[in-house]
Amino acid sequence: MEISTNDYRVWTEGSTIHYEGTMRLSGTDAYAPILEAMNSILAAKPELITLDLTSLQFLNSSGINLLAKFTIEIRKQPEVGVRVLGSKSIPWQSKSLRNLQRLHPALELTIS
Amino acid sequence: MVEDYGNTAAVNGADARRFALKLMAEPLELSWHHCGVTSDFFGEYFSRACDGSVDAVDARHSISYMINEILENAIKFRKGGNIDITGSLEDGTFELLIRNRIDAGTAESFKAHLAQLLEREPGELLLERIEENALNPDSTGSGLGILTLMSDYEAKLGWSFASEHVSEGVELTTYASLRLS
Repeated sequence: MEISTNDYRVWTEGSTIHYEGTMRLSGTDAYAPILEAMNSILAAKPELITLDLTSLQFLNSSGINLLAKFTIEIRKQPEVGVRVLGSKSIPWQSKSLRNLQRLHPALELTIS
Repeated sequence: MVEDYGNTAAVNGADARRFALKLMAEPLELSWHHCGVTSDFFGEYFSRACDGSVDAVDARHSISYMINEILENAIKFRKGGNIDITGSLEDGTFELLIRNRIDAGTAESFKAHLAQLLEREPGELLLERIEENALNPDSTGSGLGILTLMSDYEAKLGWSFASEHVSEGVELTTYASLRLS
């Protein structure tokens, strides 16, 4: 699966979802196809889902809502683990990703 | 009549470095694009104006995120007319002022929302709002912009609603400031 525009790219490899570029979509509706792709990974109930955000330079608050919503969906399925990979060189990640862990303490967050 | 919520006092003085821009009313999709370009431009412009004690990468991002979130709201809720954006920088404090027109109904519901929001701890409210959004599949907006700015960026925000001397609707001025480090 791949969703790609001039500004961003989201694609999956096994149970890893990669995000790249700048995502400033206009709201929940605009993010819906991406959420759908993420939910299809969750539907297969893998042992571990990895969200690789290390190349996602910018995400607006509607996009943060998308990640949070998905985290809550995973939280409902205790048999599915989740790991979020971030980068120290991308400031929004150190500021906002900890909220995902507050929503779901079992979420493994690595910002390196 | 003017009604103020939050921090509406100017922080930066007359000697601050200043840059102002006016966005005309355009179709939504084009305005959305202008929003991103404008945020990035202000981030780049003011982060380069910071002295060496400030982390320029963090400043560029934080300024850009702050403008993007407030400008997204201004574009979504504006009732025609231009959007005025003024940024200023002095002694490591970036200050933003965004002015646009909204209709009276939007102003009233926004005031009620702000009154509730300002009484609470923003970090707690952010998580509550996320949980509410997850339960409500029909919600179209996330409402997280202001909360992430207050909670994750420690931005100081204020709103001023003026209904006099405005030909139609309410003039909303959003104030935001950020201590860069």
